[in-house]
Amino acid sequence: MSLLDRLQQAAPALWSPEWLPRLPQRLVEILLQYFGAPGWLVTLAGFLVAAATVVAVFLSGFALLSLVERKTLARIQNRIGPNRAGWFGILQPVADGIKMLTKEDIVPAKAEWFLHLAAPILIVVPSILALGVIPYGREWVPVPLELGLLFFFAAGTLTELSVFMAGWASGSKFPMLGAMRAISQMVSYELPLMISALGVIMVTGSLSLPAIVAKQAGFHLGFIPAWNLFTPWGLSAGLIFYVASIAEANRCPFDLPEGESEIVAGHMTEYSGFKYALFFMGEYLGLFAISGLGITLFLGGWQAPLPGLGCVPSWLWFFAKMVVVIMSYLWIRGTFPRVRIDQLMRFAWLCLIPMALLTLPAAAIWHYVGGGLLGWLTTVPLLLIPWVILTVLYNRRMAPATRTYTFAES
Amino acid sequence: MVWTRPIGRIGRIFSLSYLSMTPLLILSPLILLAALGAVWKARPVHAALLLALSLALIAVLYLTIGADFIGLVQFMVYVGAVAVLIVFSLLITRPGDEAEELARRPRSVVTGLVCTLPVLWVLVHVVSRLGNLPAGAVENPVFSVAHVGQVLFTRYAPAVLVVGVLLTAVMIGAALFAREPGKKPQCPSDS
Repeated sequence: MSLLDRLQQAAPALWSPEWLPRLPQRLVEILLQYFGAPGWLVTLAGFLVAAATVVAVFLSGFALLSLVERKTLARIQNRIGPNRAGWFGILQPVADGIKMLTKEDIVPAKAEWFLHLAAPILIVVPSILALGVIPYGREWVPVPLELGLLFFFAAGTLTELSVFMAGWASGSKFPMLGAMRAISQMVSYELPLMISALGVIMVTGSLSLPAIVAKQAGFHLGFIPAWNLFTPWGLSAGLIFYVASIAEANRCPFDLPEGESEIVAGHMTEYSGFKYALFFMGEYLGLFAISGLGITLFLGGWQAPLPGLGCVPSWLWFFAKMVVVIMSYLWIRGTFPRVRIDQLMRFAWLCLIPMALLTLPAAAIWHYVGGGLLGWLTTVPLLLIPWVILTVLYNRRMAPATRTYTFAES
Repeated sequence: MVWTRPIGRIGRIFSLSYLSMTPLLILSPLILLAALGAVWKARPVHAALLLALSLALIAVLYLTIGADFIGLVQFMVYVGAVAVLIVFSLLITRPGDEAEELARRPRSVVTGLVCTLPVLWVLVHVVSRLGNLPAGAVENPVFSVAHVGQVLFTRYAPAVLVVGVLLTAVMIGAALFAREPGKKPQCPSDS
């Protein structure tokens, strides 16, 4: 069979917009098959191209986000933001990249050079690994794993060790402090993150991310999407997941590990040039990954938000949702001040973890009742009453006292 | 369409045959080297990171034989939790004297050998008594997470409960030890 015949055979699916992101992978596979490559080589090359697609998409997303974030924050803070490089500052990411690449790479004399070098690399790896298992569209799942969710969390745990390596290998005080803060924060917030994902696993009965998305298909009453967010336990778990994901991504108001005004740049203090850029890359790719997971678990993944919109390629819906979630992160960053370390830990252990644990029985009841009115009647009180009690208690006893200033007040 | 079917196991990406010896032959020397380094290094942080490396490599070994669940859990628990715990406890304790540590080296080697050789002997003894497994019994290693969960919470439920009670007791004990006696926990902003 000639190459043209093979292409012709695969064509109807190949050229549809739904398949667009997988086009390079499929083309490489068809080409290799044509040249008579062995099966394992075809599979391996296909996965390499799929990985390259994901990396290319999210690296350009990273460049775009770095500009959008600065522009949005500037807007919120009544500034103009970058506007010199290109029209509307559109070339700013390129300028930043050139600046980072041409900077001198400094390794402090007291640093352990090997760990100092390995840390920024190891911080990017888990984010890319995690991005690989997320279902971006009906046909676009880079690596469709049976245990995708477990893989996501297992890959994410590597971040803690690499942050520690960065902090310790720099051989100075500020990175060490930043690493200590980062580890305690990540360990504390990983618990509510994982526990809130457990409810989804219980209801779906699968650890596979495409299966979780498939479970959220359809509409209630003809127009409300059957996403997990629109169930009582899903709303509770989704909110907890959202807060915990901000903390896991080290973003404001939980950006203590790199609090610029307190400890210079935390674990990144002794880094310069491209290694410093790698930290940022890891952080933003991690942000994409964690918001992608949140969308998959609670916001219906690539499912369309309204009936009759199925003609739009599903991966466009996924990225539209991702834009909304990431813009909300930016809004939060522009609005809230940074929390203090004791507030941070107290919030995780006294509020998020108990409430996350409570979503588990709620999800179990929902599963056995089978949703519906009975499900709402049983799970809403189970979740709402503790939420109200906890909020009241938290506001009354745990909220920081009003600050009084001795000299500043006239 | 066959092509879009879920791949399932991670090892399948590399089209590995789960019965192949190659991953074992490549990984086991690396695991041994990392473990030896973890014992040999005088700096506790290096030792901890090498220990994490050897545990991660064991997880990779599990993945190559098709035991995805065990491999990922091994990675999450040992690299993500235990190694981080060790590293964190290193951060909040005082560093020891490295020269002193090196001076004690010969004595430590003898003690270590005395402790580990009997364990090695028992392991070799047990493995050699297993004999050859029946041919064909391991041809298709099929086990799913659902199966693991079912077995864990039916047949081994008592053991799971005992472990759960033990861990809870340990946690409460640790919290009691960590608390300063007679001091009510409070947040600094209240004062």
